[in-house]
Amino acid sequence: MAEIYQKEINLRDYSKENLMAFYRTMVKIRKFDENLIQLMHEGKVSGFYHSGIGSEGLSAGSIVHNLRDEDYLYYNHRGCNQKIAKGVPLSKLYGDFLGTVEGTTRGLGAGIVHSADVSRGVLGQAGTIGSQFNIAVGTAYSAKFQGTDRVTVCYFGDGAAAREPLHGSLNWAGIYELPIIYICENNEYAISCHTSEMHAVKEHIADWADGYGIPNCVVDGNDVLLMHEVAKEAIERARKGEGPTFIEAKTFRHRGHFEGDPYDYVDPEVVKEWKEKRDPIKNFKKRLLENNICSENDFSKIDEQVDHEIQKAIKTAESAPLPGRERIFEGLFA
Amino acid sequence: MRTLTMRAAILEALSEEMERDEKTVLFGEDVGKFGGINAVTKGLYEKFGNKRVFDTPIAESTIVGAALGMAITGLRPIPELQFGDFVGIAFDEIFNKLGKWRYMHGGSMEVPVTLRLPIGIAGGAGPEHSQSPQALFMHGPGLHIAIPSTPYDAKGLLKTAIRDNNAVLFFEHKVLYDLKGEVPEEEYLIPLGQADVKREGSDVTIIATALQVHTALDAAESLSKEGIEVEVVDPRTLAPLDKETILGSVRKTGRVLIVHEEPKTGGSGAELAAQISEEAIFDLQAPVRRIGGPDVPIAQSLHLEQFYRPSEQQIIDTVMELMEY
Ligand SMILES: Cc1ncc(C[n+]2csc(CCOP(=O)(O)OP(=O)(O)O)c2C)c(N)n1
Repeated sequence: MAEIYQKEINLRDYSKENLMAFYRTMVKIRKFDENLIQLMHEGKVSGFYHSGIGSEGLSAGSIVHNLRDEDYLYYNHRGCNQKIAKGVPLSKLYGDFLGTVEGTTRGLGAGIVHSADVSRGVLGQAGTIGSQFNIAVGTAYSAKFQGTDRVTVCYFGDGAAAREPLHGSLNWAGIYELPIIYICENNEYAISCHTSEMHAVKEHIADWADGYGIPNCVVDGNDVLLMHEVAKEAIERARKGEGPTFIEAKTFRHRGHFEGDPYDYVDPEVVKEWKEKRDPIKNFKKRLLENNICSENDFSKIDEQVDHEIQKAIKTAESAPLPGRERIFEGLFA
Repeated sequence: MRTLTMRAAILEALSEEMERDEKTVLFGEDVGKFGGINAVTKGLYEKFGNKRVFDTPIAESTIVGAALGMAITGLRPIPELQFGDFVGIAFDEIFNKLGKWRYMHGGSMEVPVTLRLPIGIAGGAGPEHSQSPQALFMHGPGLHIAIPSTPYDAKGLLKTAIRDNNAVLFFEHKVLYDLKGEVPEEEYLIPLGQADVKREGSDVTIIATALQVHTALDAAESLSKEGIEVEVVDPRTLAPLDKETILGSVRKTGRVLIVHEEPKTGGSGAELAAQISEEAIFDLQAPVRRIGGPDVPIAQSLHLEQFYRPSEQQIIDTVMELMEY
């Protein structure tokens, strides 16, 4: 059975700068999200949006300070979190939602799943959830084949973990000892269905990895530093050629599955509990304050900078033109 | 000129292209030491080693998905599905991913995948190992579809497919693996999207693919003795489709018969017929006719199997009918 990952973390082992970078990324993700929802309310963005509010610690912790531009990443469908942590410019993401040529797809429009930023190793995702499982093993094979120490990180939800390709993917990763890290963002629900109703596995989703001989663990995904440590160990192992790791990170959705979801299938008390007691940003901030590492002023400075960055990004994205009809005929073939 | 079987021609193309570019990777079920169940990859494992030629688990969606991952990160994967029928298992990966990944992510990636798929009725393989599913993918933008009928075409098209930076589905008829034909020693490439007039004629155009090209050529020989000159056009790639050559022939003869082994309903002939009627209806002297397989699953029985494949006699009869108009 999967072990629960625990580690004594001494804040003094991190530089203040590094700690603030985690905070900055988490705040950037949250504010990106809140502003996007605002744009949706203004009727400027159509389609589905899966808000990542509540799980910022998971993405920021695993990516910031761990992954380089040349490492490959497949995000999940709450994946603006991971794209932002990997450094994809906000204006490009907003551009994809607004359908202007500023977007990574130069105006095709992309929502969460179709944006890509090859220069930062963000290689895309698909509307059929869980599609990344199989593609990720190809990427990891490719990195190993070419003698690089690039790793592939594959994010997916607990619901997506029920897709058959996960097993094909784990089997390949195990056989060929691929440099790949599976990170299951277990927020307990797949739309309205609870994980326990959807998985025949005895205890943890991570237990599946055992069957493929892949090291695995369960971790508190809302603790940004714990997330950093567990991912760091897995990534180092992968870089050294020691193969794949499966991490199941526990978190929770603060909002419904998509914007407009009444979210009435979860006890409001439970949601409240997560929001108040287990908010990754709030908790991290409190910890840094209590340990006298940062002052309120440090945080408000970052908040302001991020607000400014976001407003600028939205402006850039909004003021870019919509593409003409000819755009739909571009880029099918190389 | 030397002659080779189509199997040997394909193997030669694979070997030459793998030698030419060390980023090529070949994989699939039993393609390594065993050399493939159709013996098309024999010797490649020994020649290129287990890093570039490897056996995979029985996991078709992973085979195709992994090929996409390799392709967008700098390799040139050449995966094989043991039977083309298995596209069903990897349908999402082929239809929604291989053909669309580049486009739907804005156009900044390349997808140099050459997916090899054996097809066709060949000796009692049954309903799930005898099909020709190529028409499914004419409906999926972003995919090239090659379907050779001779060793010469197979080699030239496959080499082009491997060098192409887009996904190419390469359909090989199992009966054709043993067919011999002329293949030059020196290197040559056949572009995608260039049909081949396999026989010239002035009375009727037969458009045929894969094994049916040969049935059509046999029928044309017999018809010639009756004074009817049939032109046989082999599109060689269904996507891109060489409309110019096809319509040119239609305009010359004014009569068209399309022959393929796929079920007639919704087969590739349906699309060809539609395009011809859209663009050349006033050049036609008779309705466009199609011969395809019957719209039922292919029986396992060797005895029954023959009734699924278009026959020379069927072609002759239909050409005669066309000549009546
Ligand atoms: C193959 C496929 N089936 C179903 C859907 C519809 N769908 C989109 S998200 C989702 C739930 C995903 O749950 P999970 O993976 O746990 O992620 P979460 O939304 O909880 O972050 C479903 C069923 C889809 N997009 N693709």
